Amino acid sequence: MEELDLLKKDWKKKENSFSQLSEKEIYKMLHRKSSSIVKWILIISIIEVLVWTSISIIYSTDEYLKSLNHEELVIYFRVFNFFNYGVILAFIYMFYKNYRNISTTASTRSLMSNILKTRKTVQYYVWYNLFMIVIGLITGFILAFSFNPEIGILKERMVNEGKYMAITIGILILSIVIAVGIFWLFYRILYGILLRKLLVNYKELKKIDL
Amino acid sequence: MSDQLEQSFVQQLKQNQNIIHKICRLYTSGADAHKDLFQEITIQLWKAFPKFRGDSKFSTWAYRVALNTAITLYRKNTRSISTVEFESQRHFISQEDYNYEEEEQIKLLYQAVYQLNDIEKALVFMYLEEKDYAEISETLGISEVNARVKMNRIKGKLRKILNP
Repeated sequence: MEELDLLKKDWKKKENSFSQLSEKEIYKMLHRKSSSIVKWILIISIIEVLVWTSISIIYSTDEYLKSLNHEELVIYFRVFNFFNYGVILAFIYMFYKNYRNISTTASTRSLMSNILKTRKTVQYYVWYNLFMIVIGLITGFILAFSFNPEIGILKERMVNEGKYMAITIGILILSIVIAVGIFWLFYRILYGILLRKLLVNYKELKKIDL
Repeated sequence: MSDQLEQSFVQQLKQNQNIIHKICRLYTSGADAHKDLFQEITIQLWKAFPKFRGDSKFSTWAYRVALNTAITLYRKNTRSISTVEFESQRHFISQEDYNYEEEEQIKLLYQAVYQLNDIEKALVFMYLEEKDYAEISETLGISEVNARVKMNRIKGKLRKILNP
């Protein structure tokens, strides 16, 4: 097919028409994987929020409060929820911005600072979530002890006998610690791997930039 | 991965970068897409580099990995490339001015090649690179006979596109 030969002629002629990349540019390319790591952070955080939201829809605090005959508290929980979602959305927005920044920066230096920023954002995000879990559990315990009639008997005993009081408080603290520990582990696995990859990438970039 | 390995990779890639540029020319249109594919291929090559033992030439190995990357990526992408995007190709096809008619024909040829599917493009690429069927078959992981049959089919297809 002579057309293909024509193409081949043209192809050969343009063999050297490409602007050549320098070694430094190639090095940089190898370390651009940061942008895909940051993309995963964004995706995972969104999935996480969706999962929590669907769980909270299935298990409604409104119903629980109703069963305790304290519907007047519903409003407080709503406000709390709105606040919480607001903060989480802000975090997701920051993840998104980090992702945009990392995938568009050209200089190694700003890429490095963006990597550090992303790592910080994720760390704050994890701390915020852990803090919220503690707050949530404590609120839950207070509610249960103040209003739940099923715990009334236990409460009476606690007031009368110091031993019961100590055991109960001990169990509560232990369960908070365990819950936080589980979530901490969960986040450590979920985001820890990605953060470590980012750190490795950061160190490599630092070497190039010297 | 050790620094030495990285250094040797970067040097060899730099020397052989035209292979990747050429694949990008065939699989993408526009400077951004070219850059993206180049980067993706570079990363894939780097990932595969520890397995490259030097029993073949770096370039031969690079052909294989780079083409397979392009083929896989292209599959994930939408198949059709709009003709509007196509116009952006003009800048590199008409860098120098010479025989206008030939120029037009070459442009049409590139357009025709763009309409081929991912594997067909790979074959055309190998053909343009003047690789023999033995090398084509090795690089693309198909038999020599199959490569010949495919190449003939591609020629027919191109003819049909050019003279509808």
